[in-house]
Amino acid sequence: MFENFDLMADALLKGMWTTVWVTLASYTIALVIGVVLVVMHVSPALPARWAANAYTQLFRNVPLLAVLIIMFFGLPQIGIKAENWVWALLGLGMYTGAFVGETMRSGINSIPLGQAEAARSIGLTFSQSLGTVIMPQAIRAVIPPLGSLLIALVKNSALVLAIGVAELTARARRLIEDPESKFDLWGVIIGVTVSYLLIALVLSYLVRLAEKRAAFVR
Amino acid sequence: MSRPNESTVLFDALGPKGRRNSNIASVVSAVVLLGLLALAGVQLAAEGFFEQSRWANPLDILVVQTTWVPAILDTLLAFALGSVLALLLGVIIGFGRISQFAPTRWLSAGYVQFFRAVPLVLLIWITFTIDGRFGFTTDVLGWSNDARRLTFLVLGLGIYNGAILAEILRAGVAALPPGQAMAGYAIGLRHGQVQRLVVLPQVVRNMLPAVLAQLVILLKDTSLGYVITYPELLHSASIVGRDYGNSFLQALVIAAFIYFVLAYVLSKLVVVAERRLRKKTAAPLARVQQVEAAAVTD
Repeated sequence: MFENFDLMADALLKGMWTTVWVTLASYTIALVIGVVLVVMHVSPALPARWAANAYTQLFRNVPLLAVLIIMFFGLPQIGIKAENWVWALLGLGMYTGAFVGETMRSGINSIPLGQAEAARSIGLTFSQSLGTVIMPQAIRAVIPPLGSLLIALVKNSALVLAIGVAELTARARRLIEDPESKFDLWGVIIGVTVSYLLIALVLSYLVRLAEKRAAFVR
Repeated sequence: MSRPNESTVLFDALGPKGRRNSNIASVVSAVVLLGLLALAGVQLAAEGFFEQSRWANPLDILVVQTTWVPAILDTLLAFALGSVLALLLGVIIGFGRISQFAPTRWLSAGYVQFFRAVPLVLLIWITFTIDGRFGFTTDVLGWSNDARRLTFLVLGLGIYNGAILAEILRAGVAALPPGQAMAGYAIGLRHGQVQRLVVLPQVVRNMLPAVLAQLVILLKDTSLGYVITYPELLHSASIVGRDYGNSFLQALVIAAFIYFVLAYVLSKLVVVAERRLRKKTAAPLARVQQVEAAAVTD
């Protein structure tokens, strides 16, 4: 079942590495975009709120694959060219950013109004009440859903195979379509599945660590 | 959404000075945003993005009839069949996970864990590839190529989303106050009867918004048919784009717009359903919010 195991393991490890760094890099972009969106969403300036809302609606209702295909195959037509991995990171990051923004916003909204009112009534300034009362609570509320966004991003990152980035799924595909069929089908399927499970396990362990570190000491 | 002149988590109601500052901020941000839009528009116009022929060709009546309309129908067909399969599997697996028979629980849990961890595109593509590798091929059924591709797309969508719907249902059961099931047992119902008559109706009612939200995601995921060249919207758009060489971006933008409209309408239906359901009675939930948050992410 596992003929040429070393070759297969080598290809899958390379794919895992690509999947992991694409995931982490695009998640970083998504976090930045998410924070910007939240700031725009809560800002008193109405146009900024509209823009944030439009961005969120756009990326929530257009499939990720369509976003990636438009970026990589469509944009060169109007003179915007970049390497495929750049579009992979940008596409995944911009798409996930909309969801990160929504998650963070619901985190801030989940804090009872009384908390902020109490902070203001003891005389804390805007930045003090935000930094010492609201954000510490909001961050704890959003870590678990942000964690599941990260795990979902691992799976979504497989879509960048459509623009030619050799991540885990693309590597597995190459193994199965090997012209000399050196690899057993089930062996590759099991290998690639175990790889994804491993990534998800490690990442959810890290998320749980983050949750623990952020938890209140009661 | 926070509104001005109203106390929110972050701001007190604004006074005259605050209102003036916020008005200034509004104007400034409007100018900046319009400026960015104008800049993008000028850049696009300079590259000929708005040239009439580039839009007229892919939107020619003949193309609309032979490509766009069938593409939308094929997308909706994959969505409908995928949803039915996902809902069926979701209910079976979801209740398998709370079965009294331990092996059923283990199998269902294994199914959910496995299929939630694997990317959907891998699943669709593997089912498409293994066809004909194990002595059985769908060729003997005499199906057309498109029917074969539809089958594997629907299988992938259904199997994957079935796992997620099962999780939603299970969370719904867990969030239902235990008194509901206990009351059922107290009046002498068997386990199966309690599930069927007491638990399931309430769970379905409570979880309908989360389930519908997942179906919106399933609709977007039909675009993965692109990978196995099923003639859904995205793949059809790329074919139209290839036919009219310099309208490639335009064809993709049209497809994205159609996806947007379909998904937006469906998600508005979710909001309507939510509102209507709130009027009906079911036992109040303990942990709905987390459940919905979990559902949006996958």
